[in-house]
Amino acid sequence: MSKVGWFVLLLGFIGCWSAARAQDVVLVANNDVAISNIRVADVRAIFTGAKIRFADGSHAVPVTLKGGPAHEVFLRNYLDETPSEFRAQWRKTVFTGQGAMPKSFDTESALLEYVTTTPGSVGYVSRISLKDDVKCLVVVK
Amino acid sequence: MTIGLRLFVLVCICTGSLYAQDLSEIQIHGFVTQGFVFSSHNNYLTMRSSAGSLQWTDGAVSVTDSVTDNLRVGLQLHMYQLGQLGGPDIQVDWASGDYKVNDHLGFRAGKIKTVMGLFNDSQDVDAVFLWTLLPQSSYPIDNQGFYLAHLGGEVYGEVPLGKRAGNLEYHGYAGQSSVPVNGGYWKQVADAGLTLTNAPGGTTYGGDLRWKTPLQGLIVGSSADVQAIDGTAVEGSLHIVPFLLSVHYAQYTKGRFYFAGEYDQSTTSAIVTMGPAVFPLPLDLRSWFAMGSYRISKKVQVGSYYSHYVNKAMDTTQPANYSKDWVVSGRYDFNSYFYGKIEAHFLRGTGLGFYSSTNPDGVKPNTNVLAAKIGFSF
Repeated sequence: MSKVGWFVLLLGFIGCWSAARAQDVVLVANNDVAISNIRVADVRAIFTGAKIRFADGSHAVPVTLKGGPAHEVFLRNYLDETPSEFRAQWRKTVFTGQGAMPKSFDTESALLEYVTTTPGSVGYVSRISLKDDVKCLVVVK
Repeated sequence: MTIGLRLFVLVCICTGSLYAQDLSEIQIHGFVTQGFVFSSHNNYLTMRSSAGSLQWTDGAVSVTDSVTDNLRVGLQLHMYQLGQLGGPDIQVDWASGDYKVNDHLGFRAGKIKTVMGLFNDSQDVDAVFLWTLLPQSSYPIDNQGFYLAHLGGEVYGEVPLGKRAGNLEYHGYAGQSSVPVNGGYWKQVADAGLTLTNAPGGTTYGGDLRWKTPLQGLIVGSSADVQAIDGTAVEGSLHIVPFLLSVHYAQYTKGRFYFAGEYDQSTTSAIVTMGPAVFPLPLDLRSWFAMGSYRISKKVQVGSYYSHYVNKAMDTTQPANYSKDWVVSGRYDFNSYFYGKIEAHFLRGTGLGFYSSTNPDGVKPNTNVLAAKIGFSF
């Protein structure tokens, strides 16, 4: 890997580490996702079902945690919703025939394993390590 | 087998466990609710509610399969009992194919929930609401099957208006819809002495535009629906000329607070023919509601609304031509799946929800109602 490549990797890792430290979550995506930055509005749209594609036009597969602190932090910071509101909104979507609920996982390791192997998938965890084979997305305004 | 037992068996057969199953891309979800209604002075919603009634059971199971990234198919089976309405038969709530070309354009075909106003398409999904009963002026539960869905096609999508202007979500549809044979309109017609031989219905078309404003949480929208109804009866016929229902609404969510309001209007004339006699029934229906709620904690939410209905084509001083309802509600979520609700209604007027068959001695103008529900959704 070139020096520039190592530098970008280091910056990404620092960004993820900082996010985890600052009462935030790390947005992770499958390595085939081409984008590196994602707008907050797009995060909101993808995780509420309003959008099915990333900004570059590729298909997005949102995945969530079933509960826990990281789930609550993600919903509060990026969707401005409580778990109850998030659940109600998806139930409305499902029971009116307007969409299918995102896959959800009991643990962050299960979510990371799915994101690692599923093209287009995007989720969130409280922290990642260098051995996790996923991409960290930088969220911009 | 009671309807409650049927629902339980239906849910168990379809799920196999209490959790949503995910077999590849197939998703199965469902809900079951049991309600209780106690009312003063009158029996409400075809129940013997003045003595307390548990005749309010509801349940549904949906199956969805994402065939490709863009194509999704699914259906939802629904069953409900509300006093003398509904019944043991399982109905198809919706069954459709949905092809989403991109984020701006999609198509649906089949039996589709009709997007109109704030809650029309979700009015039978109890789990998503704080309210035990939605504002009856706009979403009368005894007739929810009429506007709920149509057989036809829909085009939909969302268009960005720029970073400072928000997004515009649109829906346009056309098809056929009919009056459910186990619903309130059918019963009212039957109580009036007209024995319908088929489900009255006709062509419907309309659309909905909702502006997701740049102010996070604020949505403003309008819907329009044109509907024609024709039905034949043993004694004659029922004819309602195509009429326009217009709906204007707004909702705002900020932190723990939620506010919403809606105004609906439709003007038409129902013509009932019984032998040589013709009875015109003018309708100029105006309804609106305003609501607010506050989430006290993760598990507890409280709220209140006022719901107003009047038929301006008739004498509006008569209780039979208006309904004014003050409501106080509370909801408790035991966990992600189970919840309970309780609600008090202070009803003035008898324009909505009262039937002569359960009030044979006449209807008194004022009614207080206590409604409660427990529900399970996965």
